Amino acid sequence: MSGRVVVMEITRLEAGHLASLVGQFADLLRDSVPEDGDPAIARMVPPAYSDDDEAAREFRALTQSDLLDRRGADAAIVLDSLQDAAQIPDDPDDPALLEHVEIRLDPPSAHAWLRTLAAVRLVLATRLGVVDDDDHDLDDPRFGIYDWIGYRLDGLVSALDSEG
Amino acid sequence: MMTPLATPSVDERIDLSSQIDPARPWQTVVWDDPVNLMSYVTHVFREYFGLARAEAERLMLAVHNEGHAVVSQGAREQMELHAQAMHDYGLWATVRQEPR
Repeated sequence: MSGRVVVMEITRLEAGHLASLVGQFADLLRDSVPEDGDPAIARMVPPAYSDDDEAAREFRALTQSDLLDRRGADAAIVLDSLQDAAQIPDDPDDPALLEHVEIRLDPPSAHAWLRTLAAVRLVLATRLGVVDDDDHDLDDPRFGIYDWIGYRLDGLVSALDSEG
Repeated sequence: MMTPLATPSVDERIDLSSQIDPARPWQTVVWDDPVNLMSYVTHVFREYFGLARAEAERLMLAVHNEGHAVVSQGAREQMELHAQAMHDYGLWATVRQEPR
């Protein structure tokens, strides 16, 4: 299931958007502490005990900061692998924007990508107020971003699962 | 009351009689949520627990259809490690003692 390099084809334009989004995610992780009560951060460190507040607090105290640090490290790996592809010209009509570039992901990078894309979707879903499966306003352009990240995540999962 | 967003509905009744009973094993439970893709959840179960595809899909569907599924059972410390790993993947997992 792992061991091979996954090659992802992406336009510079898309890579640029992705880098911007993951950059915002990294900023969110860096600038917030769970005590701020941001529900997006809270979603990443859910209570491990639903019927024992004391145990949930203990678990949180032991795991929370490491977990958020690993999220930050994952995001940094994603940004690093996007760096070359996301070099985009300022001119919006520049054909280079639609140039396809290859991003090669070794197993640890692919792993970081998976977890980061899934986490970015969790943050977007929290901001969009997704509470159940039917919460999907097709007229809201932010859902376009949410679906696009889902599309990329699904493609990456397929690529990793098809390895044998 | 703040409405939890993008969260599963974790609904476990507090059972006053459920004291710690060493005879009952601990469990890691993964809860359904409206965000994580079915393909991703299956992948996580395959990758982390080393399950065959069919078994991982069965578990994923159990989470999706039943609202939650027990993904592992054993010692409490081990179940906490599993829950932490699930949180790393963005899945909503809790630890509990096997219900009576």
